[in-house]
Amino acid sequence: MTKTATLRTACKDYEQDLVLYYYAECSDQERARIDAHIRDCPSCAGFLDELRILLPLTVKTDEPPRPFWESYSHELREKLTLAREIRPWWHGIFSFLRPFPVPALAAALVLLLAVTLTLTKGMWRTRDVPLKEEALLEVLPMAENLEFYKSMDFLDSLDLLEDMGSFVESGTA
Amino acid sequence: MEMSRREELGDESLVAQAQKGDRKAFEELVERYKQKAYRIAFDFTRDREEAKDLSQEAFLRAFTHLDRFDQRSTFYTWLYRILVNLCLDHRRRGQRVAWQTFEEKDGKMAEEKQIANPTSSPERQAMSGEISRKIGAALNLLPSKQRTAFLLKNHEGLSIREIAKVMQTAEGTVKTHIHRAVTALRQRLAELV
Repeated sequence: MTKTATLRTACKDYEQDLVLYYYAECSDQERARIDAHIRDCPSCAGFLDELRILLPLTVKTDEPPRPFWESYSHELREKLTLAREIRPWWHGIFSFLRPFPVPALAAALVLLLAVTLTLTKGMWRTRDVPLKEEALLEVLPMAENLEFYKSMDFLDSLDLLEDMGSFVESGTA
Repeated sequence: MEMSRREELGDESLVAQAQKGDRKAFEELVERYKQKAYRIAFDFTRDREEAKDLSQEAFLRAFTHLDRFDQRSTFYTWLYRILVNLCLDHRRRGQRVAWQTFEEKDGKMAEEKQIANPTSSPERQAMSGEISRKIGAALNLLPSKQRTAFLLKNHEGLSIREIAKVMQTAEGTVKTHIHRAVTALRQRLAELV
């Protein structure tokens, strides 16, 4: 790996731009800016030269002979025929719906919901608490009232006793 | 429809006809893109038979799912997307080309070239085979996305915009993938420079 040290190092701000410059993937303005830079920067010029040597080497081409392409097309035609024959029956239905799958599904769901709510209107009742608890909640205030009435009766009894007491006192006097 | 008339049609018209069930229109698309599709698959596999199978499978999938193609992208970027995904899946499934396999394949191809071109000296062929093996191994070590972006740019000459469509990613991301791939290859193949 001693060779690694001999690699040219481009200016950090220019490295990616130089790769894009090599592939002619930059605007005219960018190209002019890089041209101006590499005229004065031997490191970036060297980096670009290395790309010009290395990158074409990585391309490996294969040129199959003419019979290869003939058999390629023939085989593919057979496969296409087979693919068409084994296409399932429901494929046609889905392919018909496929251009608009999401809107069609959403519309169908909204329609179904609307019909369901319309037809079952009044049948649905919101119930936050179970039946037993609901009954208890109805009875509890009544029970509280009963306690109240009981205490009122007690007060009435006290008043009666007081009245009786005052009557006795006046009698003895 | 006559053959010559079909050859004059653009991809969009051929796709529209194929979507209506015109099989010959699809076959014309196959003739138009089979070599490019094969080349991309070969870039990934470096094996003639595997490249043939994968590229044919891509055409087959394009044919069976043609009704899903909505013409928002061009036919060939859609086809390349299917093909690249197939190549990446093929690699992921463990059938990927390993270091040693790469060496064997490149060695075999170098021998085939030697037979085809006997005027080339054996030393030169051996050197060429060795370089090819190193390059193959260096490419194989790249992460999938970097490798895909690099192969489509460097080998196939697709534009950054086309690669972004094939890879369904942002153009900036493609630039970053290519830059990182080039940096990694420079480091690994320094001795070739």
